[in-house]
Amino acid sequence: MLKKPFAFIKKDFLIESSYKLSFIFRLFGVLGTVLTYFFIDKLFGQRIVGHLQQFGVNYFSYVLLSMAFFSYIGVGLGSFSSRIRFEQMQGTLEALFLTPVKISTILFSLGLWNLLFATVDMAIYIALGIFLFKISFANVNILSTLVILFLTIISFSSLGILSASFIMVFKQGNPLGWIINSLEGLICGVYFPITIMPAWLQFLAKFFPITYAIRAVELAVYKGYTISQLTKEIGFLLLFSLLLLPLSLASFKFALKKARQQGSLVQY
Amino acid sequence: MKHILEVEKLTKDFTPPLSFSKLIKLDFKHRKPTRALEDVSFSLKKGQILGVLGPNGAGKTTLLKIIATLILPDKGSVVVNGYRLGINDDKIKSFIGMVSSQERSFYWRLAGRQNLEFFASMYGLKNPKDKIEELFKLFAIDYQDSRFDTYSAGMKQKFALIRGLLNDPELLLLDEPTKSLDYATALDLRNFIKEDLVRKKEKTVIFTTHHMDEALDLCDLFMILHKGRLYALGTMEELRRKINNPVASLGEIFVKLTEKS
Repeated sequence: MLKKPFAFIKKDFLIESSYKLSFIFRLFGVLGTVLTYFFIDKLFGQRIVGHLQQFGVNYFSYVLLSMAFFSYIGVGLGSFSSRIRFEQMQGTLEALFLTPVKISTILFSLGLWNLLFATVDMAIYIALGIFLFKISFANVNILSTLVILFLTIISFSSLGILSASFIMVFKQGNPLGWIINSLEGLICGVYFPITIMPAWLQFLAKFFPITYAIRAVELAVYKGYTISQLTKEIGFLLLFSLLLLPLSLASFKFALKKARQQGSLVQY
Repeated sequence: MKHILEVEKLTKDFTPPLSFSKLIKLDFKHRKPTRALEDVSFSLKKGQILGVLGPNGAGKTTLLKIIATLILPDKGSVVVNGYRLGINDDKIKSFIGMVSSQERSFYWRLAGRQNLEFFASMYGLKNPKDKIEELFKLFAIDYQDSRFDTYSAGMKQKFALIRGLLNDPELLLLDEPTKSLDYATALDLRNFIKEDLVRKKEKTVIFTTHHMDEALDLCDLFMILHKGRLYALGTMEELRRKINNPVASLGEIFVKLTEKS
């Protein structure tokens, strides 16, 4: 049953590793990002101490974790559409759909490699935090963190599959991806706590699941919040997953049908 | 004998994408569809080789892609080995192999062998390495572990053929498979289809081409397709009878049947 997903991972690993420098630059990319926020913290960190009291950490610790976690959100949101796009450009999408593999298996398997890579990214962030910047993760509540991580992957993957549906039909021009990518960093608390923003933006942020995911993971990791203390955030992510997952799978099936009607599987 | 493929009244129109000028005029209706296939019906029994003949744009590739579940028809039905298109697509896919002449259908950063191993695992083969080795020998592939983008067009086409045969398909759809092959390799391929696939293993093959002599060498049934319409279907003798010329060549039959269109 897992042979097909593993075959995708092997294939994607072989393709990625054929671009040798990108592997190395990925590590330096994370280091560069972390250092940038380290110095921003030195410069302005003291000015937002009040906003971070609820998490019990300084700005650098806050942003390091949200950036690490954000790579998972990014995977959910972007990997399905980007992998579908890659297969379209490569011309292999049609060849894949010629094989007797279920569409849901193909879709799931297409996102796996990016998920693994996000895990590597997250590990690099955390390792840099622990060993280079001496950030303490001693209070972490592992169960809460894993539940949040799981629900985040499911709910954001659902959004990602919705995005992939647009790519399937329109090839380029993905309005959902554009809206989310444009707003998520700005208003959802990835780069700074949302309490910094004016009240109307904070109100708007409440409609984005990223806001709940980031807040929940900060509290679970730095303050050791249990699942019962994070009922609101986890409940929202669960609801989001339950609503969006079937909707996104149905939308992808519809998009695939549309592409088959148009005869556009091979187009890019 | 049981039909392995039954195609009935297949019709397909392609509507062009909305142009920018029509989009700004909010004109969503006036897009003239192109008819790719019109009321095409035929059936094939186990062990038959059908040559689909027609110029570019005749609807040959559309016909094959519909049978392969890649394109949905607007009207009509396709039944492969008892399984109906649109209902049992995964079953149909496990019975067919398709080879197209387009180069872009492999991962170019991977080696030829790695590509085949990936697709073999999609078919769930028990001994994929053995199967791939067997096909490498059959097609005399030397550079199995070179990166795909370094292969010649003919070599890429051989890999496409090998991929099409990985799952030992009952129905093989070949869309101009000899397009990039040299004369000797194309001849070998035709012999392989005739002797190994059809005579020994009783596979059914649909072969599209616009080379009449190639079709004549290989096929026992011929379909003449032009502008999406089926003009004739039958053996060489049946086609000759249709135009009342007992010595007509396939090319002459084609011209005679399609000249009025």
